[in-house]
Amino acid sequence: MTVSALTRPGERDRLIVKFGEVDWVFGLTLFLIAGSGALMLFSIAGSSWDPWAAKHLARFGLCFAMMIMLAMVDLRVWFALAYPIYGLGLLLLLAVEAVGDVRLGAQRWLSVGGFSFQPSEVMKLGIVLALARYYHGASADRARLSWWLLVPAAMIGVPVLLVAHQPDLGTAMLIAMTGAAIVVLAGLSWRIIIAGITAALVAIPPFVMFVMHDYQRKRVLTFLDPENDPSGSGYHILQSMIALGSGGLLGKGYGLGSQSQLNFLPEKQTDFIFATLAEEFGFVGCVTVLAFYAAVIFMGLRTAYVSHSHFGRLAAAGVMATFTLYVLINGAMVMGLAPVVGVPMPMLSYGGTVMLTVMIGFGLVQSVRVHRYSEVTSGKGSLV
Amino acid sequence: MAEPAIFFEEVNQRQGEFHRRAFMMGGVAGLGVLGLAGRLAYLQLLETARFEKLAVSNQFNFKLVPPPRGLILDRNGVVLASNRPNFRLLVARDKGVDPQATLHTLAEFVPLDDSRQARLLRDISNAPKRSPVQVMEDMSWEQFSAINLRIPELPGVTADMGEVRVYPHGGAFAHVIGYVAKVNKEDLAPVGPNADPILLNPGFRIGRQGVEKAFDLQLRGKPGAHKVEVDANGREVREDTQGDIPAVPGQEIQLTLDADIQNRAMEVFGDESGAAVVMDCRSGDILCMFSGPSFDANRFVRGLSGAEYRQLANYERKPLFNKALTATYPPGSTFKTMVALAALEAGYDPKTVHVCNKAWAWGGRVWHCDEHHGAQDLHTAIATSCDIYFYQCALFVGPDKIADMARRFGLGDLFDIGIPGQKKGLVPDTAYKKRVFKKDPKWHPGETPSFGIGQGYTHLNPLQLCVMAARLANGEKALHPRLVKSIGGKELPVGSAFGDLPVDKAHIQFVRDAMKAVTTIGTAKATADMGLGDIKMAGKTGTAQGFNYNGGRGVHGTAGPWHLRDHAWFVAYAPYDDPRYAISVLIEHGGFGGAAAAPRAREIMRTTLLKDPEIRARVEKPMPMPQIPDDPSDSDRIPEPPTVIAPGPTGGLA
Repeated sequence: MTVSALTRPGERDRLIVKFGEVDWVFGLTLFLIAGSGALMLFSIAGSSWDPWAAKHLARFGLCFAMMIMLAMVDLRVWFALAYPIYGLGLLLLLAVEAVGDVRLGAQRWLSVGGFSFQPSEVMKLGIVLALARYYHGASADRARLSWWLLVPAAMIGVPVLLVAHQPDLGTAMLIAMTGAAIVVLAGLSWRIIIAGITAALVAIPPFVMFVMHDYQRKRVLTFLDPENDPSGSGYHILQSMIALGSGGLLGKGYGLGSQSQLNFLPEKQTDFIFATLAEEFGFVGCVTVLAFYAAVIFMGLRTAYVSHSHFGRLAAAGVMATFTLYVLINGAMVMGLAPVVGVPMPMLSYGGTVMLTVMIGFGLVQSVRVHRYSEVTSGKGSLV
Repeated sequence: MAEPAIFFEEVNQRQGEFHRRAFMMGGVAGLGVLGLAGRLAYLQLLETARFEKLAVSNQFNFKLVPPPRGLILDRNGVVLASNRPNFRLLVARDKGVDPQATLHTLAEFVPLDDSRQARLLRDISNAPKRSPVQVMEDMSWEQFSAINLRIPELPGVTADMGEVRVYPHGGAFAHVIGYVAKVNKEDLAPVGPNADPILLNPGFRIGRQGVEKAFDLQLRGKPGAHKVEVDANGREVREDTQGDIPAVPGQEIQLTLDADIQNRAMEVFGDESGAAVVMDCRSGDILCMFSGPSFDANRFVRGLSGAEYRQLANYERKPLFNKALTATYPPGSTFKTMVALAALEAGYDPKTVHVCNKAWAWGGRVWHCDEHHGAQDLHTAIATSCDIYFYQCALFVGPDKIADMARRFGLGDLFDIGIPGQKKGLVPDTAYKKRVFKKDPKWHPGETPSFGIGQGYTHLNPLQLCVMAARLANGEKALHPRLVKSIGGKELPVGSAFGDLPVDKAHIQFVRDAMKAVTTIGTAKATADMGLGDIKMAGKTGTAQGFNYNGGRGVHGTAGPWHLRDHAWFVAYAPYDDPRYAISVLIEHGGFGGAAAAPRAREIMRTTLLKDPEIRARVEKPMPMPQIPDDPSDSDRIPEPPTVIAPGPTGGLA
């Protein structure tokens, strides 16, 4: 297919053309990550596809198919649905506030007809779409420094407060940081950025001491001094670091990680799967998987880079910001650099919700890539 | 669409800003990933050794394997303390274990009444998680196998075979060997051998008294370890027999004691309170050290109940005391041997005659004797144990010379025999009086006569008196007693290696002759002959007015209540013509030495002599038979003379 062919009107809307425009290397890298996850899940189940590995791969397959389908969705549809999805997310958060299930002491889950999910996951996507949508229509001046910035501030603030109230501090911070990333990408004035970072740093200690719940504060304090309570809260961090450290350069060998196989590693199939990987495959295995993640981030940002529409750029970059935050936070937690927060390693950890959220996000990213030449708000075919 | 108009430049401006910022974000993300890789490098490449060690200590547990405690043997290899298998039942607290229900179930198999269950429940909940508490020991094989069958349904329960100390001779060696008992909190030390975690092992026993205590570390051995792989809950996943460290058994300790003699001593003591010590007077080896009444050391291994213990502790004959070492008594007339030696050395003429009228007035008071002995010289005064003779003899010598002589024979000494509990006793002299009695530092002449008959301040333990008898019998060497023959096969130095006895041999022979007279014509005249032919025993009796436990004045002989009677002593050696064994016997509140102590000493001595093959050969030598007339048909044969085993060197020391 030639460039001249693609310049023909309507040619880019053909499904087969769109299909070819999907970043298949990106898809392959995702598969490598999910495959690594399945490999580890197979190992820690005692060389068994049950109960995790097979399901993990099946979920990835389904999510991958969904990602491709979402990539086919016209960017203008995403654009049109940005505010509604955000609104729906807000409504669900309010609903969870009112009627949500309490699980493990936090009100996060909403059950609809036997299917339960966390509305905060909807909001992770909703905030990206809504902010991208907002900044698409905002001038550079408004985005840099103006009273108009109160609008995105409110768009971020309201869901963050609702999620934090559940309480799910990890997700709230993730949403806040994703939102902040988009605001910065949209061209926020450096003065505000620096002032914001300073304010955040100043606010952390009083926030930890006075606002946090006891269990949250304990996690933070334990992180600062894990040896203080090695069998209690410090146990997770310590055991994870032992798993990592004892892996060495080449690891103990597949299926031979004593920390994970003998259950010393907590949450080994979800939040701490990276430690399992580190124990059995060592530094080499870890760096390889980190390279996969770096490649995904790079390819995602490149997609944002080449998009012709501001909405597309910000949406793709926003999704990649969320993904990057997942990777960095989980990595830091597993390596003893951050407190234990329930953030899994996307695609590697077992767990349907995060896989679904991330892959829907990647569907959006691929849609931005496939429709990178589309003008969203003007020109032919605009829906809005 | 009511969007504000967006100009082309502005679109470019926004795009340019986004591109710069996206580039920056990529940079930040890249730095973040690099940071993680750096952290990984630190943990996995630089700190590997530390974390590997931690992972291994997570993965493997070592279960301590108690070492078999060293055996204690007598001089002939007879086992005095050994170990027997012990089927134990243990319960540990763990996740998913309801100790109460578990104990309730176990009560179907082994006798566990409610109060015992309640106590065990408390013990189990106080013990650290997964650290087993002993519920039952000494189960029968039937109980053991019945419970083992049910083990899979009883989480937290283990039935294992341990070892427990056993003393096959019961009470005979209880004082010398002591016993092992459960470990107390006070036994645990933060450092040193008692910091060993094996002490916390249920069923581990620590030496409490005697040899068991003194040589606890040698007997204990080194615990081994059984390597097991455990999961995060501490449950065993796999055994790793390659990683096992074998236990090092405790060392074997051989004593110089002879089980037959010791048992005979226990027999002849019956209910009497006192002690008997037998020494080989050529080597110094202690062949018998018995203290009566005794107790069964095996009871202490399991743990005595409070009532049982009180019964032992409060009994007036003090069975828990090792009277051979710990109790000191006035030596009474046995001490006259020392007075005689001191007198001879001071130039006293043994032919000096004093007349005994049963009473003797001197120093403004009347001094008594048991009997009307008449005219006595030194020889007959020893044989009859005449007090009036020795009052005057002692006055001739003076206290310091007597004390000096007594000390040369080991009286008032502590001997290193390896086990604790020796009391030094006292041999007084003028310096002692000066040092201790600040208000009345002068030795009054009136104190010398009673010193001369082994009364007054003098008090000694039965071991010391046996050493005295042994040195008298040996005549050449200042023997030291030896109780422990070897530890772990390593021989300990014998007691004859300690130097010469600086006393005139002729004087010693004089006293020995007098001791021979004691057992033939004197105060113990029935005891020289032991029914062993020409093997005779020589000795000296003693009847000591006791300090008794309750104070008050004593009574003479066997009249009056037990605790007021005199202590009966007898020291002796045999055979008279070739001294090999020395003995001292004390019968606490036994009355007369010649009546209570000497016959018992004779019995113990006989057993001792019969254990000596050379003595036995002397006793059982064939009778010299008259020559059988030659058979005429065999006339050219020269008849062989009958083999006669030559008697031992007789009177070699005369």
